[in-house]
Amino acid sequence: MAWIQKLYETYEACSSMVGYSGEEGKRPLLPICHITAQANIEVTLGRNGDFLRASVIPDPHEATTIIPCTEESASRAGKKPECHPLCDNLQYVAGDFTKYGGVVTSGFAKDPEEPYRDYVKILSDWCSSKFGHQKAKAILNYVKKKRLIHDLVNHKILFLGSNKKFLHKKERKKDKNRSDIFDVVSDQGDAFVRWRVEIPGELETNLSKDNTLWHSWTQYYLSTKEKKPLCYVTGNDALLSTQHPKYIRAKGDGAKLISSNDTSGFTFRGRFLTDAQACGVSLEVTQKAHNALIWLVGRQGKVFWVKGDGGRKQPALTVVAWATSNQKILQPTESAFDIFPEFAELPSDEAVTAYTAQDIALKLRNKILGYKVEIGETKDVQVMAMDSASKGRLAITYYRELKGSDYLERIEKWHRECAWIHNYGYNEEKHKQFSFVGAPAPVDIAEAAYGERVDDKLKKTTVERLLPCIIDGQPIPRDIVESTVRRASNRVALENWQFNKTLSIACALYRKFIDDKQKENYSMALDPKRKTRDYLYGRLLAIADSLENWALNKANEDRQTTSARLMNRFAERPFSTWRTIELALSPYKARLGGKSKKRQRMIDEVKDLFEPNDFTNDKRLNGEFLLGYSCQREFLRNNSETLKEKEEVNEENSRNN
Amino acid sequence: MENKVGFKVYGKYALFTDPLTKIGGEKCSYQIPTYEALKGIISSVYWKPTIIWIIDRARVMNRIKTQTRNAKPIKYSGGNDLSIYTYLADVEYQVQAHFEWNMHREDMANDRNENKHYFIAKRMIERGGRRDVFLGTRECQGYVEVCKFGEGQSFYDKYGELSFDLMFHGFDYPDELGKDEYYSRFWRPKMKDGIIEFIRPEKCTIRKFVRPMTAHPPQSIGFEEEGLLEGYEERS
Repeated sequence: MAWIQKLYETYEACSSMVGYSGEEGKRPLLPICHITAQANIEVTLGRNGDFLRASVIPDPHEATTIIPCTEESASRAGKKPECHPLCDNLQYVAGDFTKYGGVVTSGFAKDPEEPYRDYVKILSDWCSSKFGHQKAKAILNYVKKKRLIHDLVNHKILFLGSNKKFLHKKERKKDKNRSDIFDVVSDQGDAFVRWRVEIPGELETNLSKDNTLWHSWTQYYLSTKEKKPLCYVTGNDALLSTQHPKYIRAKGDGAKLISSNDTSGFTFRGRFLTDAQACGVSLEVTQKAHNALIWLVGRQGKVFWVKGDGGRKQPALTVVAWATSNQKILQPTESAFDIFPEFAELPSDEAVTAYTAQDIALKLRNKILGYKVEIGETKDVQVMAMDSASKGRLAITYYRELKGSDYLERIEKWHRECAWIHNYGYNEEKHKQFSFVGAPAPVDIAEAAYGERVDDKLKKTTVERLLPCIIDGQPIPRDIVESTVRRASNRVALENWQFNKTLSIACALYRKFIDDKQKENYSMALDPKRKTRDYLYGRLLAIADSLENWALNKANEDRQTTSARLMNRFAERPFSTWRTIELALSPYKARLGGKSKKRQRMIDEVKDLFEPNDFTNDKRLNGEFLLGYSCQREFLRNNSETLKEKEEVNEENSRNN
Repeated sequence: MENKVGFKVYGKYALFTDPLTKIGGEKCSYQIPTYEALKGIISSVYWKPTIIWIIDRARVMNRIKTQTRNAKPIKYSGGNDLSIYTYLADVEYQVQAHFEWNMHREDMANDRNENKHYFIAKRMIERGGRRDVFLGTRECQGYVEVCKFGEGQSFYDKYGELSFDLMFHGFDYPDELGKDEYYSRFWRPKMKDGIIEFIRPEKCTIRKFVRPMTAHPPQSIGFEEEGLLEGYEERS
């Protein structure tokens, strides 16, 4: 499978983005052999390694620093964590750490100098190699002086107690006007140091943005490794990786796509004795591919979180679609509104009436076609979904490669066939609700099918099941449609806004369902000629509801209409329930007098459309009744003014007739 | 040699594991079957040490789609693990293969009777194979039927060319290689209108030496072995 190859190509195509995220606060596209860390203290040195100044970095965005690492240090953990080569915690970089009461990680307790020694060793090996960099040399010169803590204390970055040891957080008197080290760490010994080196004539003093330094480290690091046979991605002999990156879905997520430390399972036993015999990937390929994936997930992917052990949210299903060539790609997890934010610009009243729904759908279509022009016919689009069953490993649960044009065609088809008028769009900036036309987002579908409080796992499974419907054009699962229809029919169980949202999603799904099954496409506007039983019953219910609602409004009564209360029963036994509803209407008809004539006549018209046996049949209604209901309701709502005006004239006319 | 056979193999699921995902245990299938998997299938149908099956080509009949299932594999050290496997769903392949003599098995030289093996192979395909057939991994049961290569409609007819990146081809086992070495082979397959033309094992240029391995063919020479039938009398 080529996911790793495609990610590798993506990295190469986007290499101009290396070091940047493209969006504020998102994870950057990392250079290889580098990771990001949260730095707490920034120390500025001169060219010969003389201490100039230092500061605390209070802003978390600002603190994110790209630092060089080794394979071991990138995935370090445990009692004796490996040191990073350039920037690291005080216990590694400060030679006078223990002198001021610093406590090293438990594994080093017997020999507290060990972390510092390791750090100096790796840094001097690098500096003395032919790939050495003058800024790294300046840092080496400085740390060899073993006076970092001393200098930091002098510059009032770190604080000592009366016993000349690190001050405890509790003992510090807080100065409210000034942020200090205790704002970013609770124990001063845990502080992470990054460097700046000022060399006359060099503009870039920030080491984490200096690509000559990245290059220097990468070259050096690769040169320390031996070539081993065959990378399974490129087919060439290369330097193979023994550790593959983690943090793919989110920061702190330990699951890896490729894990090769398993000698205790039954994964490769038999033909192979070691994991290296079974498989190998070159360090360059795996790092570039993973860095690209991490960057893409952060920038445009969708991560679904579930409740894990101890109720903590942890990342689960992750879906990302991307083009190899750094273009923004529509995500399959987006709703029509996400694709077409201009919906929010349209004033909500006139935004989407039944009559313009088709126009808006067309606009959405043009918008998607616009993307197509941008991407071009031939560019590849990849869709990848990942999920994990356990903490340490990540599985690829869905992977597709499509031509860009095919991909957008499928997305467009989904939004065309699964479209309905939705009223739940919400513009956070303008605090305004608005309508949109198109397919609902998969998450909203899951909530409509199983309720707002749907279990996280069920929600993510539903999204996963919908992916092939969107991308492969597979028919929509029947159980999801039926569950949504059932929930939408049970109106009394839902709040009003919930009912409207569920209803429009149910209509969208049912429309798509019938399209898949019978190749029949329902119109989103009321179809007055349609004679199917379910549709007509839906219309009847909407008219009865509207009539009663009107009467209640007139009397300033705020309660649910009979039709609303009986909707569930109506869906089960329409004929017998209709009798109850129609009888219950009489007082309201009387209350409204002649004004309800139009609606009463509509009821009769609809009834006339029934085939005689259809009407008396008490069989359960299918999802089409929601379509009839929704269309009729929308029709009445949009024409309420004209209906009223006509009312008076019609009254005259009907008398004459 | 006129010893080409065609057969179709189908099943609900298939898992031709991508080695990258194999070692971690979150197995994920390749999009198309590997040479080694198809060779294994025809060898399950009929095989003797005398012959080596060579897969000529395969035709993908159904649209390639995947399905994930949660698995609870057993750990070597005891207990269970949790994994997600990604299978190919609803697969059907037409395969054309032929056999050649295994020249490294001199002891089987007397068995090199082409007609015999050819007709046994054909009969075994009619019967669905001698041993049970599976698509890639043991849990993906497959079924073999007679078929003429190229008959019927495939989803990928007139689809054009699809190329795949570096993919596992098969293993060189010492008994067929004639050396005490064990290799993995790789190639870059192309699928044209649903048909994958496999290259012969020796044509694979990308190889990985896995480890030394020795073949241990049985030392018996069958009924000619001295003393084997001593004291045995055929009943009248």
